[in-house]
Amino acid sequence: MARRHAERQEETEVNITPMLDIVFIMLIFFIVTTSFIRETGIDPQRPEALTATKQERGNILIGVSASGQIWMDKRAVELGAVRQMVEQARNESPESTVVIIADERASSGIVMDLMDQVRLAGVLNISVAAQPVAGEG
Amino acid sequence: MRRKRRRGGEEAEINITPMLDIVFIMLIFFIVTTSFVKEIALDLNRPSTEPLEEKRIAEVITIRIAANGQIEVGDRPVDIRAVRANVEGELATQGFDTPVVVIADRAADSGLMVRVIDQARMAGAENVSLAAMSR
Repeated sequence: MARRHAERQEETEVNITPMLDIVFIMLIFFIVTTSFIRETGIDPQRPEALTATKQERGNILIGVSASGQIWMDKRAVELGAVRQMVEQARNESPESTVVIIADERASSGIVMDLMDQVRLAGVLNISVAAQPVAGEG
Repeated sequence: MRRKRRRGGEEAEINITPMLDIVFIMLIFFIVTTSFVKEIALDLNRPSTEPLEEKRIAEVITIRIAANGQIEVGDRPVDIRAVRANVEGELATQGFDTPVVVIADRAADSGLMVRVIDQARMAGAENVSLAAMSR
């Protein structure tokens, strides 16, 4: 029994090298593609737009509810605190851009105030979230 | 050589089990935290708080949005569905690289603002910027 075990040791072992290769490749893939998006905590009704494009680097999300409340990082924040929070997020990932997710009933004044604050924080790439027009793909 | 290897076989192998554990935990962590959802958004160009000082009103196509949602292209009041045609007409007369400035009242809906900018883009305007209504 003991002899047989020693003899067949190499054959009975499962070769895990290919699995390890795949696991490492998956790990590297997920590390590279991961971008930690901080959800705003609200889901406003986005306006419809045809010329909207996908924001690949839009990691800093700012939500504006229909009543004009500003949400970032799952918390309602004051307008004055937005600049600091954007600066902080910018420090963590310098190439990220800001997407303002404003409800279509929110007043445009708040969106413009937000854009000014974001600009003061040093982010020049600002976009406003939209949804594709229903029925036209 | 052969004998030595057989004797010390188990000791000589590096134990990779802890590394595997860590790699699997990292893999699971990244799989769970990854979100591939990307926002669909309009790039907005907002030069500064006082954009109309440099560009005179006459040299740009202005679209005004009043607080009650009334839209004016140039000086003509138009419907939201007619914005595209009107901007196309203005671009044809003033040149296709004429900048378009959307001047929205602070009380106007932001959805209307986005829709107007979208319409102006669809009309072929490349330079659409946003300005606050001076008070």
